[in-house]
Amino acid sequence: MTILGGCEFPDGLLYFVERTQMTWVQVEGDTVRVGLTDPAQTRAGKILHVRIKAAGTSRERGKPLATVESGKWAGPVMSPLSGVVSEANPEVEKDPGLLNTDPYGKGWIARLKFSQPAEVNDLLRGEAALAKFREILERDKIHCVRCQG
Amino acid sequence: MPEATPAPPDPEGKKILMIMTSGPEDPDKTYAPFYTAALMAAMEIDTTMYFLMHAPELLRKGAAEKVPLKKGGNLKMFIDMARENGVKFLACAESCRDLCEISEGDLLEGVQLVGSATLADLALDADSVISF
Repeated sequence: MTILGGCEFPDGLLYFVERTQMTWVQVEGDTVRVGLTDPAQTRAGKILHVRIKAAGTSRERGKPLATVESGKWAGPVMSPLSGVVSEANPEVEKDPGLLNTDPYGKGWIARLKFSQPAEVNDLLRGEAALAKFREILERDKIHCVRCQG
Repeated sequence: MPEATPAPPDPEGKKILMIMTSGPEDPDKTYAPFYTAALMAAMEIDTTMYFLMHAPELLRKGAAEKVPLKKGGNLKMFIDMARENGVKFLACAESCRDLCEISEGDLLEGVQLVGSATLADLALDADSVISF
């Protein structure tokens, strides 16, 4: 685990960082699990609603996988890879606050069966990912907090 | 066990036209439309905001920063959020000229000036029209 600006970045994850997107990706065989990173949930604020694309929905890389809204922010969570949604996390749909309190654990958003394995190589990892986050955290003056309850 | 509520149909590809008539004179009426439009665009709804009467004043360069919100901050971040998510902004040319005295160069980049006939076209073409 690396901590930058109070934001946690677990080891072993891949990251999709483009425009306003900061999501994590965990490869699990031919599927991936996707969720918001600590700075992404911090920037959104206390998330009140989430709507995730239903299982079976085809997604191209960069198309919305879910939408989240917090009252101060509303936006898409883009799909980091092309593929088909295999599962939307029902716990997060019932309790969107999990995106804030446990973004890398119970707050995962969706599983995706990816169709273009080469796209996995475009995701950031390790030092390259941390360098990118360091730049964003400094530029946008983000210091992570975990909203409770 | 109660039956789960069926998920609403995916709105991807639908078109919504939002008509804005309030300007900086009524800050409480400005935030929700931009927030809602941003959310709709994030849901892949083709979202257009049409500004008429005093609403084009909100799109004047530097104006949104001067519209305070009760929840803190100002309107600019919500306008930026809507644009970032892909909401299209159209301003009524007649309102800009006769009520607001705004020229095209005074408007935020990317705002298109259009005539009233365009409003009719957009309303007829949209799946739903929402007026604020």
